[in-house]
Amino acid sequence: MKVFTTDPVSEPSSVVYLRCTVDLNSADVRFEDVPCRNLEDVLGGFGRSFQILAERNISHAYCEGNPLIVNTGLLTGTTAMTGLRTYFSGYSPLKESKKGLPAAMWSTGSGNFGAKFKWTGLDELIFEGRSPKPVYALITDTPEGPAVELKPADHLVGLFAHDKMMVLKQEYGVNAHFAAIGQAGEQWENVYMGAVALSTDNQLKSGEDKMRFAGRGGMGSLMGYKNLLALVALSRDKIKAVSPEVRNVNINVVKGGGAARLQPISRGGGGGTWAAYDVLQAFHAVPINNFRPQGNDLPEKLFREHVEKEYVIKSEACYRCGITCHNNVHEKKEDNSTGRFLAKFDYEPLNLLGTNIGIHDAGQAARLIHLCDNYGMDSISLGVTISYLLSYNERHPEKPLLNGATFGDYDKIKELVELAGLGKLPEIGRGSKRLSESTGETSYAYHVKGLELPAYQPETNPGYAWAIAGGHMSMGTYGLLTREGKSDIESWVEGITRTKLQIVGFDMIGLCKFFDITKGICTQMVVDCLKSEFGLDVTPEALAAAVRRAFLLGLALELRQGYDKSEYTLPAEVWERRNPNIKLPDITSPEFIAELQKRVWEVFEPELEGLLGQP
Amino acid sequence: MDVTIKLFGPFRIDRFKKAVREYPSGTCVSEIIDELRIPLHLLGIVLINDLHAGIEDVLKDGDTVCLLPFIDGG
Repeated sequence: MKVFTTDPVSEPSSVVYLRCTVDLNSADVRFEDVPCRNLEDVLGGFGRSFQILAERNISHAYCEGNPLIVNTGLLTGTTAMTGLRTYFSGYSPLKESKKGLPAAMWSTGSGNFGAKFKWTGLDELIFEGRSPKPVYALITDTPEGPAVELKPADHLVGLFAHDKMMVLKQEYGVNAHFAAIGQAGEQWENVYMGAVALSTDNQLKSGEDKMRFAGRGGMGSLMGYKNLLALVALSRDKIKAVSPEVRNVNINVVKGGGAARLQPISRGGGGGTWAAYDVLQAFHAVPINNFRPQGNDLPEKLFREHVEKEYVIKSEACYRCGITCHNNVHEKKEDNSTGRFLAKFDYEPLNLLGTNIGIHDAGQAARLIHLCDNYGMDSISLGVTISYLLSYNERHPEKPLLNGATFGDYDKIKELVELAGLGKLPEIGRGSKRLSESTGETSYAYHVKGLELPAYQPETNPGYAWAIAGGHMSMGTYGLLTREGKSDIESWVEGITRTKLQIVGFDMIGLCKFFDITKGICTQMVVDCLKSEFGLDVTPEALAAAVRRAFLLGLALELRQGYDKSEYTLPAEVWERRNPNIKLPDITSPEFIAELQKRVWEVFEPELEGLLGQP
Repeated sequence: MDVTIKLFGPFRIDRFKKAVREYPSGTCVSEIIDELRIPLHLLGIVLINDLHAGIEDVLKDGDTVCLLPFIDGG
């Protein structure tokens, strides 16, 4: 990237990104300097990629015209803490409108790949078409600038994501990091929820499969469709000295209120996202058995305080991140020392491959998470599709589907995960929307607009309807009722249409959301980082405006891809079978939802007019 | 007056899960937080009788106070 201005708001074209376009059919590689069109282009991530996707008319995700866009954010690879994110964008094989058109999607993950990618000198990599043979892409830092070439990947076919990375590590050594798909992505025809795994320092040094994931929306399946099994970013580390300004920001990130609750308990923190179990249980709002909390203490079996009696929980971090939010669960040996790594316990995978499918044993949940990760599937979509199947089988004991698995039946659930990961169960691999449409029983399929919901009960979050990507990664309203106690329509309209959509800013600029999850990126901290790293003068107001424009473009793209306003709603079971066990005010009655839809569209619609026609 | 206090998540460590304690009339939530040395930077949610409340709210005899940490992400 080249920066020739201090004012990217007025002079975005003076910020120039280096783009590489690879034609996978011909193996042709082309580099070009691309001036930015606006501030959201400058910030990067989906702010850029969605503008590219808006230029394409795509009616099937698995078509050669659907690009896979790999990019980073402006602060990826800088000294700003959590600046590690890589973004994968394209039209999703999983998320689709009722008209059957694919939605534009992005997914993101941390690990070391993003920084290495940025350090090669490349800002954006677009894969067009499909390779006739399995390949991986090698991106290297050379004296002449970044180089990209395609290499044969036959030796990687059929390997777990982690194993692919370990093979590539043997070949490319300590200066390389990787993005790879597992068998699930290779089986793209039957698996639409393939994830992209990203390597970490911890993983490559220890040999333990402690990867990170860009999971949502099937970008790993899109890679598999293109016969692109992995990416290698090979560069020496290019870490600048931290300026006093960024040092202050980083200290604030770690010690300020925002990230404190995600820090290890041993450091006086809240212990990561796992703590959501305890909080949501106070309201009986922890998903159980396909999002049907029972008002009992079942979720407590997976509370940290119980799990740590039997297992060792190691608090670990992403590369150079002081937040240290990872809870890596290991076997506990007889002498109480640390044994084999089992899985990382984040709230979503733990609930959706645990409590929500009737699994209340930490060891069993860990093994399911581990399988999901290594086959390379999105744990949210996998878990929620399985929970739909289990719910169906509970309703139809006389004629269950597939292997007849029911809630809590670990052996049969494990079989579902393995077969789905190998592409042998399209009923699971193609997601809950398609599965429920095939059965005709859609009310208890917990997806919105074709994408499975994260582990926050929809009764607590009607904002899901307007999330433009993953339900809680792209609309920050999941705590508006539980955390902030807001149950009035005004607060929800304000949250959805103004304040809580700002969470998507992190998926532009390259920072993890834990940088400052409640405030977004329109803060003095981010302003200071941009000034220090690039000499850019940007106000919080300009950042907020760019984030809003990017969000609105995402909404406009949904409407262009055939989404009807009736699809901006929640699973029907929420009001058809109201759950009396959730101890929170009711904000998902049909009347509340109807009023919310009316008020939200009143705000958004005028701003969407002509948006896709604008340069 | 008697107040039932319920603690959640890391707040239980070296404290308790649930306790009934006696306080002078007019005690507010912040005084209990101070007494129990609950770290304010981790305090996310205060409930009084299952309803969202603030730390300056005054308690009555028989109230149940829940102190919960923040939730974020997944």
